[in-house]
Amino acid sequence: MAGNVEVAHRVQPTSSRLTLPKLGEGFAQVVPALILILLLFNVPLVIMLGWSFYPLETPLANYEQIFTRSIYLKVIGNTFYIAALTTVACCLLGYPLCYWMWRLSPRWRLIIASIVVLTFWVSILVRTYAWIVILGNDGIVNRLLLTWGLIDSSVSFLYNQTGVIIGTTNVLLPFLVLPLFAAMMRLDRRILLAAETLGAPKGVIFWKIFFPLTLPSLAAGAILIFILTLGFFITPAILGGGRVPMIANMMDLLINRLPRWELAAAISGVLLVFTMIFFAGYQWLNNRQQAS
Amino acid sequence: MVSSRDARRKAPAAGSWTDSVGSWATTVVAVSVLLFLALPILVVIPMSFSSAEALTFPPPGFSLRWYESFFGDARWLQAARTSIIVAVASSTLAAVFGSAAAYGLVRGNWFGRGAIEANFLLPLIVPQVITALALYMYFARLGILGTLPGLIMGHTVLGLPYVVLIMTVAIRSFDVRIEQVALSLGSSWSRMFVSVVLPNLAPSLAAAWLFAFVISFDEVIITFFLAGAHETIPKRMFNELMLQVNPTITAIATLLISISIITISTLALLARRSGLLR
Repeated sequence: MAGNVEVAHRVQPTSSRLTLPKLGEGFAQVVPALILILLLFNVPLVIMLGWSFYPLETPLANYEQIFTRSIYLKVIGNTFYIAALTTVACCLLGYPLCYWMWRLSPRWRLIIASIVVLTFWVSILVRTYAWIVILGNDGIVNRLLLTWGLIDSSVSFLYNQTGVIIGTTNVLLPFLVLPLFAAMMRLDRRILLAAETLGAPKGVIFWKIFFPLTLPSLAAGAILIFILTLGFFITPAILGGGRVPMIANMMDLLINRLPRWELAAAISGVLLVFTMIFFAGYQWLNNRQQAS
Repeated sequence: MVSSRDARRKAPAAGSWTDSVGSWATTVVAVSVLLFLALPILVVIPMSFSSAEALTFPPPGFSLRWYESFFGDARWLQAARTSIIVAVASSTLAAVFGSAAAYGLVRGNWFGRGAIEANFLLPLIVPQVITALALYMYFARLGILGTLPGLIMGHTVLGLPYVVLIMTVAIRSFDVRIEQVALSLGSSWSRMFVSVVLPNLAPSLAAAWLFAFVISFDEVIITFFLAGAHETIPKRMFNELMLQVNPTITAIATLLISISIITISTLALLARRSGLLR
């Protein structure tokens, strides 16, 4: 019966009479979701990219505007600047945390990892909101600095680049820490043990063995943070207070305030191309990591 | 692994004082980073019980006024209702469509399977603001912009990649021979599916559904663009935060944090049961 055919097919995959009807096995189950994602994701994306070439007489006019007008260039430059600083901050903060977690006992490792996972899991909105309370003019940081006499009047951390970078780093840090920590855990500890038995000092072991071995994972994490910051919307909108425009917020402006859909579509196109280029780099690093 | 650690500890301290300084420095830096990560949660929870009118930390006294102000506000409650309706509907759709697709992707062996699987994961890579914008223009043309079904469809697209990811891993680890045994013993395919496949995959399916639920429940950007006059909790929070700082939000934030803790513990339990973590 059906089962016998199935088993026969597994045993003798070369038997063409039996494999032919099996070629499409599983395809029927994929179809509904495939239609869904084509209609609600791929098609809208293509239509939007089509919009970016509108009006058709001058198909590249929108792209030309983006790359020649100083307002748009400034926003793109600003976004890349913030993304770069956030990436550096995430690496500098994330790597020591991962390394420390890696050296802990399994029990403590689990506890600390759970805390990181929890921060990752709590809504971005909630985590962003807290920074208003912490960094505001009457916030915790300012009041501490005033009490300690380190400053005479409140320092503005909010509604400028500093606030956006602090908030974005805080929100995105788990995206670097969790994969990097997982990569460290996959590392063969016997390599380090071998170096130790051969008499290498701890510093040498770290800088000559551990760090080089985990560097590709750190680089992959850095690219991920960079991509995520490029398209970041919530935190810049709230902590930037409209004064730190990033690409995503400009798209909101072009759609909801001054309806210029074709321009917003073109900016999406530019952002998409940048994202895909960096994602290709991320994939390349990950594949290389797995191959070695 | 444990033995190598012990060996390392017992090894005579070949390093100099620089090693222990380095070790201490790492600990100090790491603990500070951990504090930085957890700071938002540590600040928001006590603030939500504050009796003060303004946002002051530490709170001067205990009160539940911000919780009262949330539960007494019909608009917030309506937003909560919309959030739950959208999250339940979209995560259920994503779970049904996504796990069927995952089953087909794992068990099938046809040309183009890899490309289709990659396409299912694409919404994770494309910046959400781009997806939101594309759907906005598309729905505006179709005339369903600002409707609840439109919003649910948008959230389904976001939940689908997570369901496909979780379920392909789960189905891959489920031995196909068990299905073949049931079939060869004379069971029909549908009977086999219901009494062999489903019970085994149920914990993973629940985890995938919960994941999609939380993705939808916390979602801001797609909702911001597509919801029109409809309000979800995150959308209203976002809009309020852009204008002013209302302490009621600390209460909502604390409620959201507790929901996060509950869902993540449930997910951990489900993962252990389904063997996903093994």
